[in-house]
Amino acid sequence: MLQWTHQAQFAGYYMALEKGIYADHGLDVTILRGGPDRDQGEYLRDGRADFATRWLASALKDVSNGIFVRNIAQIINRSNMVLIVWKDSGVAGVHDLDGRRVGVWQGQFRPPFMAFFQAHDIQPQIIQQNYSINLFLQRGVVACTAMYYNEYHMMFQAGIDMEELMVFSLASIDTPFPEDGIYCLQKTLENRPAACRAMAAASLEGWKYAAAHPEETLDIVMQYARGTKVPANRPHMRWMLTVVLSSIFPEYVGDWTVGRLSKEDYSRSVDLLMAHQMITDAPSFEEFVHVP
Amino acid sequence: MFRKIRIAPRMALMIIIGAGGILGTVIGYNYVSARGLLLEELQQKSNHLARATAFRIEVTGYAVEKVVQSAAFMLTENEHTVAQQYDLLENLVADNPEIFGAAIAPWPKGEAPYVWRAAPPAQKLLRGDLNEEGYQYDVWDWFALPRDLKRMIWTEPYFDEGGGNALMVTRAAPVWDAEDEFTGVITSDVSLEWLREMLAQLPVGRSGYAFLVSATGVIISHPAGDLIMNESIFSLAEARGSENLRRIGQRMIQGETGFVFFDGLTDTKPAWLAFSPVPSTGWSVGLVFPENELLGVVFDFSRNTLFFGAAGFALLLMLSLLIARSISRPLQQLEAGARTLATGNLDVSLPVVTGKDEVAGLANAFESMRNDLKRYMIDLAQTTAAKERIESEMQIARDIQMSLVPHTFPPFPNRNDMEIYAILEPAREIGGDFYDFYMIDEDELCLVVGDVSGKGVPAALFMAVTRTFLRSIWQEEHSPAATMTRLNRELVRDNDSCMFVTLFCARINLTTGHCVYANGGHNPPFLLHAGKPAMAPPTVKGVVVGGMPDFTFGEGELFFAPGDAIFIYTDGVTEAMNPENALSGDAWTRAQIEKYRDLDCNGMVEAMRKALADYTRGAEQSDDITMLAFRRG
Repeated sequence: MLQWTHQAQFAGYYMALEKGIYADHGLDVTILRGGPDRDQGEYLRDGRADFATRWLASALKDVSNGIFVRNIAQIINRSNMVLIVWKDSGVAGVHDLDGRRVGVWQGQFRPPFMAFFQAHDIQPQIIQQNYSINLFLQRGVVACTAMYYNEYHMMFQAGIDMEELMVFSLASIDTPFPEDGIYCLQKTLENRPAACRAMAAASLEGWKYAAAHPEETLDIVMQYARGTKVPANRPHMRWMLTVVLSSIFPEYVGDWTVGRLSKEDYSRSVDLLMAHQMITDAPSFEEFVHVP
Repeated sequence: MFRKIRIAPRMALMIIIGAGGILGTVIGYNYVSARGLLLEELQQKSNHLARATAFRIEVTGYAVEKVVQSAAFMLTENEHTVAQQYDLLENLVADNPEIFGAAIAPWPKGEAPYVWRAAPPAQKLLRGDLNEEGYQYDVWDWFALPRDLKRMIWTEPYFDEGGGNALMVTRAAPVWDAEDEFTGVITSDVSLEWLREMLAQLPVGRSGYAFLVSATGVIISHPAGDLIMNESIFSLAEARGSENLRRIGQRMIQGETGFVFFDGLTDTKPAWLAFSPVPSTGWSVGLVFPENELLGVVFDFSRNTLFFGAAGFALLLMLSLLIARSISRPLQQLEAGARTLATGNLDVSLPVVTGKDEVAGLANAFESMRNDLKRYMIDLAQTTAAKERIESEMQIARDIQMSLVPHTFPPFPNRNDMEIYAILEPAREIGGDFYDFYMIDEDELCLVVGDVSGKGVPAALFMAVTRTFLRSIWQEEHSPAATMTRLNRELVRDNDSCMFVTLFCARINLTTGHCVYANGGHNPPFLLHAGKPAMAPPTVKGVVVGGMPDFTFGEGELFFAPGDAIFIYTDGVTEAMNPENALSGDAWTRAQIEKYRDLDCNGMVEAMRKALADYTRGAEQSDDITMLAFRRG
């Protein structure tokens, strides 16, 4: 199960399914869409899904809520979270955001930004940001949170030129905040270790295929998106695929290990979430992460 | 340059250049103006459409305002129950057909009544609670945007699957209570199906279409259903890599009105785009009209113009060629005729051109010229024949006249006591001058030089008469004066033509050198005595001979020593004219004589003749010239 509606963020899984990679690994896979109306943790807990993609923060929250999910692969190893600012709002640097109206996502998306503000020692006026960027577009806030692969490009597709915007990336060593990983329940890991192994390997293989065949991948992505009547257009999906792929496969060897969650990133994420009272405790790295 | 080309092709060429130029200009002008008109109409259409759209949306907006005004108190006054809220909403939705659904969403979150129309064909209203099952309504734009922006908003359009898959848009207004506390949002959902249908059915030529974009550029309406909500004008621009389309999109969502040429929204066919904003919503209506269709319409128009123009042009060309031929053909025949005429063939047939135009006039003039020429040629032949006859007669007359004067020199080759030489040069074939000399006896020589008044045939005849009289009278009288007196009497008689003659007449005794002379009005001769300048003999009584009846002439005497000479001449010598019409004169003649006086008679006369020729330099001889020189041996 995916953690959001169909889009290029999940291209690798579509390709693993469509190109028969899952089948080759002996898996009979059905991809379920996610979305604001569905909680992956609950689907795992209730057995409606065997595997799910989750942000690390979400997965830790699940654990904290008594749903014992385990990481079997870390797909997106770099944070794509950014803070986007109207250039003409008088903000020239991060410090100018102090006291200004800034839209910030709620829940699991919030801590990295709060940590970012803390690190820069500023206190913006936080406005609740939801699924749309319309409040930002209508100038209700001077800055808003965004995924580099999604909202940032949506702004471009709303007619805003890149030159009109300033982008602060949150990706840094201090706030690595790994994103999409593949999770399953502890129970599944114990009962069907081979399937878990196959799922991790086949998914990564699907991503590799997507990286090698971007246009074919986009065709499939568009089919999925259209199939569920999710507004989508190819240029946006192309942008998303490009950015997501660069967050999966590092530009420089050694930045991270493809498909693996590093212990350092895990520890920093846990510390961050605990500092913001998002979770009260967390499993150990060895307990949480299983490399099949 | 044009003179090098014949008339007919020249006329055709000029018409092709002139009329073709005009035709081209007219077609070009038509093309440009028709195109301009079409484009203007297109632009106006888009403006009208945008205004009409705006108007309909505003009307809907008023209904929504009513809902807001009516429902706001429900949020600010707490005594109303949820059931009352449902009733109010139901009444509002029922009363306003534009409204698809309406909701009152309180803040803090609580039961949020929502009333909406059931999907057709069901004609009933449904009720629901937006807050049920923990639906987080405060995270959606329709709630958050009016709250955070603190004003009424239109949401981005969306497809409502529950509402019959209709294109919907929500008008949402925030409500504050008396204490300025945010108490919630009131919404009305409005279906835009009518707008979509209207735009989809809007005729914009054969292949043109209308489309609508939202405030963020999302395609709300477009004939290609796939694009709606999925694509924005910017995503289309990005997919095509068209920076131009992106700029156009930015102008559209910024509420500009425009009319631009661009390379299509979804394909790359060049097209015209007219766009106008839909006020209050931030949307923009665009009308696309493909360039090839526009050109097609204009081309059709231009083609018709071209067809009729070309037909007229061909007709004009034909007519002008006919006219040119009607001019040039007789002209060519006339030209050929004139060439034949020039060779002397006057019997060539000339073209007969009837009518009264210039060509007919020219042909007639040619004809009459030919006839005149013919007549003239005949006249000329006759005249020439007559002239030739006269000339030959004149030549005979000349021979006769010349035979009348002695013309063998030396005349008396056996005598060495004298020398004599004379010439007579009539100005025409024959003249009135004459000279004569003959021995009366062994010692006596008679010299005569005369000059009849006038020239030509009359003078020659009078000269012949005079000479004949003179010879016969001289035989009887022997004295120059008596001879001239009697000659005068003879000539005056029956002289109806009133002619006369000047005469110098001398009788010289060659043995003694004694000379008697008479002068009848003649130029005095030059006496050339040794050691003395040339001089005239003493004047004696005398007038022109033949003019005055019963005149008695006087007589003078001279003495010629051996070697003395006399030079007698007529006024042809002193009145010779050079090309400047200046007369030679007495002084010139005297100077010449002085120059040549020591030559023998032959040499003196010939030298004088040459001097005269030098003086006149070829000018026409105006009078008869006679010179006679005598020297005693």
